Amino acid sequence: MYLTGRFAPPALLLTTALALSACGTAAESDTKSTKPVSGGILRYAVNTEPSNLDPHASPSDITAVFTRPVLDSLVSLDPKGGVHPWLATSWEVSPDGKSYTFALRKDVTFSDGTPFDAEAVKANLDHVVDPKTKSELAAGLITPYKGTEVVDPHTVRITLSRPHSPLLSALSTPYLGIQSPATLKLGADALARKVVGSGPFVIDAFTPRQGITYHRNPKYAWPPQGAAHAGPAYLEKLEFKVLREDSVRVGALTSGQVDAIGSVPPVNVSQVKADSRLWLETRQAPGGNYNYYPNTQKGVFSDVRVRQAFRASIDFKTIIGKLYFGVFQPAASPIAPSTFGYDPGTEQLGGYDPQAASKLLDEAGWTTRDAQGYRTKDGRRLTVRWMFVKMIAREQRAVLSEQVQAEARKAGIDVQFLDVTPSNYAPIALRGDYDLSDYSWQRVDADALRDLFASSNIPNDQGGSGANASRYSNKDVDAWLDQTLDTTDPAKRVELYGKVQRKVVEDAAVFPVYTFNYVLGGAKKVHGITWEAQAYPSFYDAWVSAP
Amino acid sequence: MTAVTLRAPARERPGIRPGVWAASITLALIVLAAVAPGLLTHGAPHESDALMALQPPGDGHPFGTDAIGRDVFTRIVYGARQSLLAGVGATVLAVSAGTLLGLLAALGGRVADEIIMRLTDVTLSLPTLLLALLVLTITGPGTLNSIYAIALYTMPSYTRLVRVQTMVIRRSGYVEAATSLGLTRAWIVLRHILPNAFAPLLVLATIEVGTALVAASSLSFLGLGARPPAPEWGAMLAGGRDYFSVAWWVAVFPGVAVTLTVLSITVVGRALQRRLEGRG
Amino acid sequence: MTKAAPRARRTRRRLRAVLVRLATSLLVIWGAATVSFAALQLTPGSVADALVGTSIVSPQVKAQIIADYGLDRPVLTQYLSYLGMVVRGDLGHSYQLNESVGTAIWAQLGASLQLTAAGMGLALVLATVLALLTAKRSRWIRGVSSGAELVGTSVPIFWVGILLLTVFSFQLGWFPAAGGDGLGGLILPAISMALPVTALLAQVMREGLERALDEPFVLTARARGMSDAAVRLRHALRHALLPVITLAGWLFGLLLGAMVVIEQVFSRQGLGTLMLGAVTGKDLPVVMGVVLLTASVYVVINTLLDLLYLVIDPRLREAT
Repeated sequence: MYLTGRFAPPALLLTTALALSACGTAAESDTKSTKPVSGGILRYAVNTEPSNLDPHASPSDITAVFTRPVLDSLVSLDPKGGVHPWLATSWEVSPDGKSYTFALRKDVTFSDGTPFDAEAVKANLDHVVDPKTKSELAAGLITPYKGTEVVDPHTVRITLSRPHSPLLSALSTPYLGIQSPATLKLGADALARKVVGSGPFVIDAFTPRQGITYHRNPKYAWPPQGAAHAGPAYLEKLEFKVLREDSVRVGALTSGQVDAIGSVPPVNVSQVKADSRLWLETRQAPGGNYNYYPNTQKGVFSDVRVRQAFRASIDFKTIIGKLYFGVFQPAASPIAPSTFGYDPGTEQLGGYDPQAASKLLDEAGWTTRDAQGYRTKDGRRLTVRWMFVKMIAREQRAVLSEQVQAEARKAGIDVQFLDVTPSNYAPIALRGDYDLSDYSWQRVDADALRDLFASSNIPNDQGGSGANASRYSNKDVDAWLDQTLDTTDPAKRVELYGKVQRKVVEDAAVFPVYTFNYVLGGAKKVHGITWEAQAYPSFYDAWVSAP
Repeated sequence: MTAVTLRAPARERPGIRPGVWAASITLALIVLAAVAPGLLTHGAPHESDALMALQPPGDGHPFGTDAIGRDVFTRIVYGARQSLLAGVGATVLAVSAGTLLGLLAALGGRVADEIIMRLTDVTLSLPTLLLALLVLTITGPGTLNSIYAIALYTMPSYTRLVRVQTMVIRRSGYVEAATSLGLTRAWIVLRHILPNAFAPLLVLATIEVGTALVAASSLSFLGLGARPPAPEWGAMLAGGRDYFSVAWWVAVFPGVAVTLTVLSITVVGRALQRRLEGRG
Repeated sequence: MTKAAPRARRTRRRLRAVLVRLATSLLVIWGAATVSFAALQLTPGSVADALVGTSIVSPQVKAQIIADYGLDRPVLTQYLSYLGMVVRGDLGHSYQLNESVGTAIWAQLGASLQLTAAGMGLALVLATVLALLTAKRSRWIRGVSSGAELVGTSVPIFWVGILLLTVFSFQLGWFPAAGGDGLGGLILPAISMALPVTALLAQVMREGLERALDEPFVLTARARGMSDAAVRLRHALRHALLPVITLAGWLFGLLLGAMVVIEQVFSRQGLGTLMLGAVTGKDLPVVMGVVLLTASVYVVINTLLDLLYLVIDPRLREAT
């Protein structure tokens, strides 16, 4: 009793995907050589590296960038949320939404010669959820996963314990990319250094703190729908260099030491734009923005008026505009405008209004001031303890936090930084011993909202994403989020996600800060770098013209 | 050529040299900044203004402003306390602990001497900054922890100095005389040994304050010492380097501050040393 | 025979010193291992928390981590097994990097050796040239030179690195911005690293040179009509180098510290970067591994120097 007719993506979506990927091509500015050339090497510099290359296990987003060249996925996703065939040619969902059956391509082999089949899919998904894998991200994307059944060598059925509409978009990410089952058996240490898949490139070597090198997979003939060409990649070699220091990375690009760089620092964007030898392109990252999350459960922020006052007393728009030179946009909703399900209605809510903030704080009883000018109530100072991990803060977030601290001081709010390091973060988060927390939560779709605001995801040691650092618990929001899992109707999901966004913004359960843009800079001779749905660069269509 | 060789060896001129004067005045200003920053600047180190971000040096902002519009000059003045405190704090800690251990080694009998001196050897055979990093891994980063870490690796040189000085003085006539008079050991240590060991210790410590200050700012630069928004020079430098291409002043002035401070401390320390050795 | 007796005694004394040093080095390694093991047990927050980092993981994953690293065993068992591993030369498994500490260090060693060797070589050459040119010269030459040396020892190298990088790489484009690519990328880091060492060495060597130039044998040489340059190069320099050898161990420590900072400034790979990442992530096995390795190298260098003295000691010591 399967719902049929749902497995083939609508024709309309397909065409928009093609159009999108065409305009998604980075900087086709060199009009003379529009015909791609095969061969050559592209050297790309990144600002960070994964400690573990196995995307099934690794906790870091950047693993996606490093493994996408070698890993294909069952399906692919376009920026509008449309799902397209890749290693799976078609799929159907059972009426109860608990079982997905995929028909697989028959012509695919992994670069180590192992054929791709139903057993391989099963081995991969089982590997993700195996406790021995110690998955810190991927397993969280498929929490209701029950098991995979091999129907025949080229048909596979994934069963879930409950409906989970984001399954397909999760399967499109490299975190659930399909690796050669032969290498999965080599163990965690081997996988952490080398991942083998069926993708357009093959890893030569990954040297931590230096970079990774790939060579072309000459047999590649199964790109996702929407790619600009078929057959093997144009580039003969692809090289990622890890250059952590922003200024050094930019210097490497301007001096021609590398051909393209990721994460061009906002302060250098105008410099790169002005350079006639270079191009620059940005792409908004979907999913959770970089936001501040107040602890709604206990402490000063358990009072909604204090939360609203804090948000209203800080001029995020001006601060973000100045600090990031207009490269990152001030956020209104917890999720980015580019996310499928974004609600523009949030842009009318919760702006900068110091008078209103002052009134709210008076109403909340913080009427008196102490010698330093901070507001007090019953002799207690209005202190916000911020769980800020300075040590690993990126994108000038530390500078931003200092500015927010200074702005809050003007409103009579004392922001204190808790001494938090990566090693004591989790215990503090679990205890809920903080007033403010901050992070970005980039995901391919609005299901990020469920991670961020479902009461089941309040940090606890029983499971869940632990991403609800606001410790926000609202029955309506929980119910709406549950309904999003049950329905695969896009219109219905958009409506539900909209309700959630407006509710959490009205409740000031989140202080949206900025929307991250992946900023790519490159030399004019580099063409055809495209964007993944998650706003990461993809190199399959990339090519380098003769100098 | 022979003329050169037959010339008398260059002689140090007596009196205080102009370089030492300049260094003393600079140092005095830096100490003043540390003690009473309000006398040198009217601004507040944390006062930010997004609209005044990255202003070049000029009216109202002699050293310009940083990425969030704070006055760099004000932050450097207030940073003097942070930086001096780290340098002096680590040194005082190291001198005190080193003196105690040195005395214990010299006067506490053979076993104490062996244990303390072997431990000193152990500490000395670990590379300095790496030892500090080891300590910070265990304690976690922070201003105080970085001071402890620096004190730990500078301590052995004081232990050795005090031990040697004490042994020399103990064998000298007046201490032996004191002993024969039946004075207690503690009294002898307090009254006779410490004052005599004090001068060379002070000289070594003065020069080492500069070294400790650089070490502390290096740790802050690496993100393991004082952390923003504290106006610490090393941390300011670390934050400023990202803006170097558009605002050189944010990263240049903190570096000048560190260099000038260490330089004047060293010059004054060496002048003291010359005086102590009867050369100045 | 009468002369041989004190020499033999001196040799015996030296040998004993070498043995004591070796014993001390064992003590160093044991001490360092024990102290950090103990401290790790005492620090707030469990090792498992450090392993997990900032992600909130499920109880199953945490249990698996605890089991994998043997953290559920009694403390004494963990300690003894750690010591046993150190004795066998096994530095353990990194908490963060998914590889053994030995592998991680080995992969970074080359880059760091290159950098320190370049820095040390540059410092030696520069200091020698400076000392040769300025020793026993007119007051202002010595004044300028010692002033420059003073600045050299006072200026923080991370700042020098940033300035050099900005001016010579970003602005003028003379050198590549990112290191690791051959000689060009090594020049700026090596200069920044060599600066304080050069300043210190130049002072020490000039003093040594000046002492040597006052020796009677220099006068004899000059009387024989030897040119000033030849005297300085052929006679005095040898003596000036001696104090440098005594300082070698200490210089090594200084360079290692500089290495951590310089690798960071220039985004270079190497032991310093490895170490810093490990400190941030509380990856104690890696921190320990690097410290133990450098301590051992340090001990080896000092022991070699002691042995070197055994060879050059009698004549050279009597000559100076």
